[in-house]
Amino acid sequence: MNKRIMFWARECPHCKAMMPYVDKLEKETGIKLEKLEIWHNEKNADLMRSYKPIIAPKCGGQLRTPTFFNTETNDVICGEVEYEILKEWALK
Amino acid sequence: MKKFWRCFVCNDIHYGVRPPEICPTCLVKNAYVEISSTEARKISGMTKVDFDKKKFLEAVERFAEKNEFQVNPDTEKVKMLLDGIFNNEQNHGFKFCPCRLITKDFAEDLKLVCPCNFLIHETYKDKEDGECWCGLFVRRKKHE
Repeated sequence: MNKRIMFWARECPHCKAMMPYVDKLEKETGIKLEKLEIWHNEKNADLMRSYKPIIAPKCGGQLRTPTFFNTETNDVICGEVEYEILKEWALK
Repeated sequence: MKKFWRCFVCNDIHYGVRPPEICPTCLVKNAYVEISSTEARKISGMTKVDFDKKKFLEAVERFAEKNEFQVNPDTEKVKMLLDGIFNNEQNHGFKFCPCRLITKDFAEDLKLVCPCNFLIHETYKDKEDGECWCGLFVRRKKHE
């Protein structure tokens, strides 16, 4: 199943900055992101780690937050980006 | 491989590939002798140092002072990051970066302990407005 995940962290300012864009995106497109917090939820952390071979090469070799990840297309965005870039990722 | 070394004059402990030529504490030359990790742990354990957020912030500010970067002037952002750093220490053992995730490979994860070596990261290197990934450190503006 095609899932769009946002891996985020509770005390990550970049994640906080992206949240209004995520809200806007969900309202505008009807696409829902699965928002998974990774520092206070070990299950979510393990899931993110399981995608490391796909995510890390696109994020400076590391697991960084926020990471927007499409489980079907393997499209990845990390960090703060403009709304249009996020939307483009979501619509792929 | 890194080893432990002890100054035979003042018991300064050094952890590294080779000992300092001059002891930074008592300034005696060629004063270091190799010791076991047990001995090093016992000696360093004699001094108890606790770091709260205020003390950590003061430490990183002093660290940044002589470098080309500074602690982010955005205090709200810094407060959020300090919360994350200290929560990570409490829950995961080290002051890990709040904006990255540990891999569970210890050597790899030590690279995420704050402050990390962000000077080599693409978010900082060769960038006029460079910052570490989480944004705790930002390049100091030239006119400041």
